[in-house]
Amino acid sequence: MKIAVAGKGGSGKTTLAGTLARMLGRRGHAILAIDADSNPNLAITLGIPREVAMHIEPVPQEIMEDQLDADGKRVRTLALPYGDVMARYSTAAADNTRVLLMGRVNHGGAG
Amino acid sequence: MCAAHATVRGLLHDVTEQAGTVVIDMEAGLEHLSRGTPRYVDRLLLVAEPYFKSMETAARSKTIAEELGIPRILAVPNKVRGPRDAEAMRSFFAHAGLPFTSCIPADEAILEADRLGRAPLDHDAASPAVAEIARLADALSGN
Repeated sequence: MKIAVAGKGGSGKTTLAGTLARMLGRRGHAILAIDADSNPNLAITLGIPREVAMHIEPVPQEIMEDQLDADGKRVRTLALPYGDVMARYSTAAADNTRVLLMGRVNHGGAG
Repeated sequence: MCAAHATVRGLLHDVTEQAGTVVIDMEAGLEHLSRGTPRYVDRLLLVAEPYFKSMETAARSKTIAEELGIPRILAVPNKVRGPRDAEAMRSFFAHAGLPFTSCIPADEAILEADRLGRAPLDHDAASPAVAEIARLADALSGN
């Protein structure tokens, strides 16, 4: 099950995403919660203390490299094995969940 | 297309593909949604507050997500303050063809958890909003 949670800023999507992740974790799923919104709030909603959440290192964009797929098309793909990415960048939280923070995309008007 | 967004999308795809159950807190905008999204997302939850602009955003996102081919799209009404809100949202989403299974009530405990920097679940596991999210988790687990 791969769930994306979207909504306007302030709609409560982070609260929902984090709480839902833990609820699903309690139901026996191993959950990866991904913060694609570049803030520490998802981690806090998962129960990670604020002081720890503030210092979670986002997955750097340099971890991706361009490769050619079978059709010769350029695709951006992970330069590290998945297990290494998880070991280096994910943080354990309560109820069988881990959290991964995407790096911030910096350009005007976004976010 | 913005190269940085392409990077984040590639990363979301590669990681999500290999993980078991994934919950992604998307950007407030829909920049991460693209033609490739259905390769790694099979359910989209559109959180909306009980006012027109918020519901309208959810309806617009639904149209985009459908065009992209995301299989299951659910609205999640949030911060619902009573029967009038609930009815307005039910009516709006019925018209928009956007189903929902849970209606999360406005809940002081969520605000208090936020002020304290704590998880809502650790602050008050029995609060009305948390209880409703539990029902949503059951609904999602059951199918």
